[in-house]
Amino acid sequence: MATIGLAEFLSSIISEPGASGHEDKVAAVVQKGMSGLFDEARTDALGNLIMLKRGIGRAPHPRVMLAAHMDEIGLMVTKIEDQGCLRVTQIGGIDRRILPGLEVVVHGRRRLPGVVGAKPPHVQDPGEREKSVKWEDLYVDVGLTGDEARELVRVGDIITFAQTPIELQGRFMAGKTMDDRAGVGVLFECLRILRDMRHHADVYCVATVQEEVGVRGAITGAYGIVPDVGIAIDVGFGDQSSVPEYETISMDKGPGIAISPAVHPAVFERLKTIARELEIAHQTDPSPHPGGTDAFAIQVTRGGIPTGLVSIPLRYMHTAVETVCLTDVERAGRLLAEFIVRLDKKYVEGLKCF
Amino acid sequence: MKDLLKKLVEAFGPAGNESRIRDVIRKEVEGLVDEVTVDAMGNLIAIRRGQGPRVMIAAHMDEIGVIVTHIDDEGFVRFSNMGGISPFMLIGQRVIFDNGTIGAFGMEKLDDMKDLKLNKMFIDIGAKDGASAKEKVSIGDIGAFHREAHFQGDRVIAKSLDNRAGCAVLVQALKELAGREIPNQVYAVFTVQEELGLRGAKTAAYGINPDVGFAVDVTGTGDTPEAPTMAVKLGEGPTIKVKDRVVLTHPRVRRFMTETAEKNGIPYQLEILEGGGTDTGPIHLTREGVPSGAISVPTRYIHTPSEMADMNDMKNAVKLFVAILEAKLDEAIL
Repeated sequence: MATIGLAEFLSSIISEPGASGHEDKVAAVVQKGMSGLFDEARTDALGNLIMLKRGIGRAPHPRVMLAAHMDEIGLMVTKIEDQGCLRVTQIGGIDRRILPGLEVVVHGRRRLPGVVGAKPPHVQDPGEREKSVKWEDLYVDVGLTGDEARELVRVGDIITFAQTPIELQGRFMAGKTMDDRAGVGVLFECLRILRDMRHHADVYCVATVQEEVGVRGAITGAYGIVPDVGIAIDVGFGDQSSVPEYETISMDKGPGIAISPAVHPAVFERLKTIARELEIAHQTDPSPHPGGTDAFAIQVTRGGIPTGLVSIPLRYMHTAVETVCLTDVERAGRLLAEFIVRLDKKYVEGLKCF
Repeated sequence: MKDLLKKLVEAFGPAGNESRIRDVIRKEVEGLVDEVTVDAMGNLIAIRRGQGPRVMIAAHMDEIGVIVTHIDDEGFVRFSNMGGISPFMLIGQRVIFDNGTIGAFGMEKLDDMKDLKLNKMFIDIGAKDGASAKEKVSIGDIGAFHREAHFQGDRVIAKSLDNRAGCAVLVQALKELAGREIPNQVYAVFTVQEELGLRGAKTAAYGINPDVGFAVDVTGTGDTPEAPTMAVKLGEGPTIKVKDRVVLTHPRVRRFMTETAEKNGIPYQLEILEGGGTDTGPIHLTREGVPSGAISVPTRYIHTPSEMADMNDMKNAVKLFVAILEAKLDEAIL
């Protein structure tokens, strides 16, 4: 039975490595942290962790899939140079500018602490400081010579950010992989609330894999589950200095409820209505780009699935200090729990009638 | 294997027009397997029935090419690309169409070669005017490079090693396995339209619904002057794919493949291909997901009419596939 709180749960899962395609370690921690909240769990061929909480009442039960991806962006070793530095490429979308000086962990034959090297400003050519370092000039240093490094590290080994969780003021928490472990935190909150509520729908909470490399896990996850309605929980751009207001949603003002080509209008309306009636703080989040989240992958599964998208406001996306407000995570969990207890056959059938 | 490879690379088969290469491969695999079929997309599927998990191995048989978009009154043929083609490597090359018509690539006068784009180029089939050109080619006709294969020591220079090298590996593996009991059911698929976005493998995998998937294709190298960083060299063994643009190899599949190579003393390299993808991508995302991997043949100058590979890498790729298919894949991977 999960007895830990949200902060502790989130802290534990963002501390785990889980670069896309290599999510087994974080999956184990997610499953352990959520134990007692679901009836059964399985892992599919790609590694999606599928946790089912059954509904009550007469079958057939409507099936709802909640998807939050647990993979994270990272690096991969492409070459070991003779002097020992590790050449790298990206897994997912990495902003090269944030890399120099970063602490990392190289997952070789054992875990090796490493740092991303940077050229001292004193010896840079004029103008070099104004440009970001090219991939071919970036490297990770674990303090070994080439021969020593080849004993412990191979081409294809994963490198993750080493950042430990940071509790900021005002219930803000920063760390690596809040994108989208904060979404996994929403699954945790939602199931904690549902533990004390009656719901007819079978709830499939899926911690998906390989979202950062092209929403791959959600494609196979949704195919296997065949939900009547699917909701992706991901992160949205939180308001921050230097980003225009129209690109962002506000921190600590509740989750964004997305309206997007990937979202079924009636799912959007239902989420909005519930949030309004129960006075759960929320924001409308227009997301004109259909491709970027698990919602799209779910939407186009099999014959098409009505889909929603809920976004947690997050600052500094794709850095090692991604920042969220825990209150927003709790609000999103409650919103989804309230959505689920109201799910019935009539509603899901209505989604297919325009 | 040289004869087989020569036959395969010299066959005509640009993406979407694979009938000639399909016939060549069909002749090679008939008799080696229990059944040979062609699906709605044109994928050639050679099936070894029996016990055990279903294993799909995909080698795409299409090649890059060009498609005729316009024929002017003087008989010059404008074209677009079918697959990834750089205009710079077309200069001085020859194209051949399905009916045997051969053309040379020409270009408009340019002040700066940097401005060279496909739309500044044309195909000259030697026609006197538009009408006689149209007797030879029509809008929508697809051409491929016209080049013979050349063997020099262990090395081969040829067009379409991408991916006839993979086709040769797969055919040869089927030959070596013919008549031998293996604990897996094999679906060897020679896929179509890979160069246009991995299309054939997608429908083939859906239809076959495999338990495990593999692809065999070519990959780049980092062993030429001032090459991009890539720890792959010609002649050092086939590669076991770790990552490309469309797949992160399942860690369990990758471990099984490296262990199989090591156990059998087969040299291999680990591959991270920064640009490009292969049929493993669509295969692993089929239905509820399929644990999948890939073996690649290191190849220089990919997507030019003069690709170069090492025969030993192909022979070792065959050995690795044979060893993989002789293993109990349900115990090893599933």
